Amino acid sequence: MPFTAKSGKFSASINTLTMGTGEKAIVLGGENVLPFYTFDAPIENAPKVGIEITDGGLEAEPECVKKYYEGCETIVDMAKKAATFEGVDFLSIHLEGGDPNGENKPTEELIKIVKEVAEAVDLPIVISGCKNVEKDSEIFAKASEVLSGKNAVMLAAKEENYKNVGASAGLAYKQIVGAESADDINLAKQLNVLLTQLGVDAKSIVMNVGTAAAGYGYEYVVSTMDRIKAAALQQGDATLQMPIITPVASETWGIKESIATEEDMPEWGDQEARGIDMEVETAAADLASGSNAVILKHPVSVATISKMIKALV
Amino acid sequence: MYKVTFKFEDGGAVEAFAAEGENLLEVARKTNVAIDAPCSGNAACGKCKVKLLGGELDSQKTLHITDEEYAQGWRLSCVSHVIADVEIEVPDIASAYKSRMKVADLDSAKEIEIFEKTKADVAETGIDFENDMDVVRVTMDPPSLDDTMPDLERLIWNVRQVCGTEHVKVPFAVMKHMAETLREYHFDVQCVIRRRKNKVEVLDLLGPDEDVKMCGLAVDIGTTSVAALLVDMRTGEILSKASTGNGQIRYGADVINRIIEAVKPGGRQKLQDAIIKETLNPLIAQMCAAAKVKASRIYRMCVAGNTTMNHLLVGVFADPIRMEPYIPTFYETLNIHANDLGLHIFPHARVIMAPNIGSYVGGDITAGTFASCIWHKPTMSLFIDLGTNGELVFGNEEFMMSCACSAGPAFEGGDISCGMRATDGAIEACTIDKETMEPTLSIIGDEGQKAVGVCGSGIIDLMSELFRCGIINPKGKFIREGKRIRHDKYGMGSYVIVFKEDAASVKDVEINEVDIDNFMRAKGAIFSAIRVMLNSLDFTVDMIDDVYVAGGIGSGINMENAVNIGMFPDIPIEKYHYIGNSSLSGAYIMLLSNSAEYKVWEMSHNMTYLELSNEPTYMDEFVASCFLPHTDADLFPSLSFK
Repeated sequence: MPFTAKSGKFSASINTLTMGTGEKAIVLGGENVLPFYTFDAPIENAPKVGIEITDGGLEAEPECVKKYYEGCETIVDMAKKAATFEGVDFLSIHLEGGDPNGENKPTEELIKIVKEVAEAVDLPIVISGCKNVEKDSEIFAKASEVLSGKNAVMLAAKEENYKNVGASAGLAYKQIVGAESADDINLAKQLNVLLTQLGVDAKSIVMNVGTAAAGYGYEYVVSTMDRIKAAALQQGDATLQMPIITPVASETWGIKESIATEEDMPEWGDQEARGIDMEVETAAADLASGSNAVILKHPVSVATISKMIKALV
Repeated sequence: MYKVTFKFEDGGAVEAFAAEGENLLEVARKTNVAIDAPCSGNAACGKCKVKLLGGELDSQKTLHITDEEYAQGWRLSCVSHVIADVEIEVPDIASAYKSRMKVADLDSAKEIEIFEKTKADVAETGIDFENDMDVVRVTMDPPSLDDTMPDLERLIWNVRQVCGTEHVKVPFAVMKHMAETLREYHFDVQCVIRRRKNKVEVLDLLGPDEDVKMCGLAVDIGTTSVAALLVDMRTGEILSKASTGNGQIRYGADVINRIIEAVKPGGRQKLQDAIIKETLNPLIAQMCAAAKVKASRIYRMCVAGNTTMNHLLVGVFADPIRMEPYIPTFYETLNIHANDLGLHIFPHARVIMAPNIGSYVGGDITAGTFASCIWHKPTMSLFIDLGTNGELVFGNEEFMMSCACSAGPAFEGGDISCGMRATDGAIEACTIDKETMEPTLSIIGDEGQKAVGVCGSGIIDLMSELFRCGIINPKGKFIREGKRIRHDKYGMGSYVIVFKEDAASVKDVEINEVDIDNFMRAKGAIFSAIRVMLNSLDFTVDMIDDVYVAGGIGSGINMENAVNIGMFPDIPIEKYHYIGNSSLSGAYIMLLSNSAEYKVWEMSHNMTYLELSNEPTYMDEFVASCFLPHTDADLFPSLSFK
């Protein structure tokens, strides 16, 4: 008797969610199989790759990234350049300078950058906050306003500020609300419930369920994503069927494997190669665990992961 | 060195010396000044407030103290350090656990009915209420030159005749004063005896005309509260009922902190003194005064407490309970007498302790399980004891499985800013109007009693109603605005239940987000423990036929609301039964009935103990349960407002 493979597709599926507008708009989610299980059922919307720039501009980038932005004078120039790199599907503007415990840049200054970048590029945009819940509420409210109609992602609302972020980004300006929780399936679900009870459409929520660089407690990330996908698909849990977006760059470019110089660690080899490796390994693992999009920094990482996705889907 | 003077509201004062920078709470503890600190000095509970009368303190300002209070001199003692000579007023609220003592009025107490009901239920299982204590009149011929038998032999010979038993034992304690007593009553006495198989033990010699009330004392020693019954050993009549806070509370709110404190030098003695000298002896004295009996007429005592409380009561080293592999010194003890512990009752009174079955499932649960009678039913029952530790027993006449989870003191009003035990002035039930957000309250006490705080059952109602009315979200955070909703400068929301004008308290009675959060964890611990235990047996909640709920949460517990907040599983409400303080009723029956004492002992050997911390899913279940009603709303299908 010939072997007939049984399809492992599920009756439930991940929500589809459109980021951006016009020709460059992208769609996340929609699959009803485990990550990359195209042999069970086709995956219509392959995972997407975003590139991250920050409000710090060229100066804030690692040495090895700077050369790719040669000639760029402003953040807008960088954004335009980033949009031309191979494999870039969307742009993330990381407003880390807004942190009151750091540079504490005023919201207006940050929003000006957002506005200028958005006018210069036609890629879908993700606004990544500064991690301070109060400042983020303010930043996301203003960013949602200036990006009105752009279908941008505000990354992200947390349990502490979901009311403000949900109300401004989700309800007032109909942007996509990122929902961030820390490596716990129940907390992820609870935040989704709270956001939908607030009136935010479940179909315009994207989750950041927690992230880490590979090797840095990364098992928790894998386990959380695995179980979220299992709950969403196997058990048809509608409160966990949102696509997952995972910021990778902000994790991997701060660890010693990426920042230790060759003088300090000659036995570790080329610093740039190490940074790219960490970013690619982490991103690949995130995607294999269920992320629908990853945010990276190094153009080579973006191209590599993009190629990997094309080969698998 | 600086001088610290603690002044009390009753006018008393204690002086102590402290080094520069020494923590005020520590100074108070060393000086044996009672300041209530359920969180063990972590600035988490805000209960250790004291008032600065003179001098200076280096004190951190926390969210537990308002600007107004700070200006008046109120400080949290746990975050205050001595930097100069100071004068401190210790308010009654801070030493509240002492003034919380309450002797119940027997005429009006609803709880007495519950004891009678439990007794009737136990009687139905075939347990008899016979005990081996008795009083017999012994009339002897006085000695003469012709009859020179010594007193001891004379008594033994006569008791032998009266009781018809060959062996009569007279302990040294009785023999010591025998000569005077017998002569005082002209060799005509009443003997308090204990009848054992073929043996009689004489415990006490009393005058022939005394109307002897042979009393017994049943005590439930909880981590937070202590409750006791003074009973007539012959009739079983309850002569007096009383409850108070456990005096050990200032050494920490939970068993772990108590053990840590007990391990410190001199700690064992301090903790034993706190329960015996400061808690039990005054309680006994008050109860005896109320019932008009002498404490020396209490001939037997039965104690039901958790394993740690039992260890601290008898003063044994409890540290191994806390450390892996969690081994207690004993499960059962025999031969402990009142004078071994310094209890102010008849010195040779036997102290029965309900047996422990695990490091975290103790005699309060064996006694409580016995009282619930689930060991006699063919159907599946779940017994839940809502205490500082939540304990569960599930099973029927063929098997019983038990487990414990740490719920914290919230059910008894601890760790809740407006919390109190279920006594006069406690809001025990509440409904809220969805439109106006105005509450309707039911307060324990006589007509016209004003609210002081909220007890466990009231908090369940409040949470359920606040959630139903959309005032709080499933995380317990305030999402509506109104005159009863407030936010402090840190953004923490609260709901004013009673404004201070209408309260019997100096400030508004309000419940805040931290309180709700604490209670959320308590209810989450209970629900997740139920789920994990049933899962481990491959049972589902609809296989439960009856649920018996026990504990000091208050007899007014509204089971429907407890289900609404996801504390108990969503099964038909008529399956739930509140059985009051089952640990105390179990101890009461064990005191009166020898066969009950034996049955509890036998039952304790047949209970399996499930260690929840070894269950990998417990933490997950717990996080999922800390949500209203639950992260998985499908577990609560009958809820109309999710």
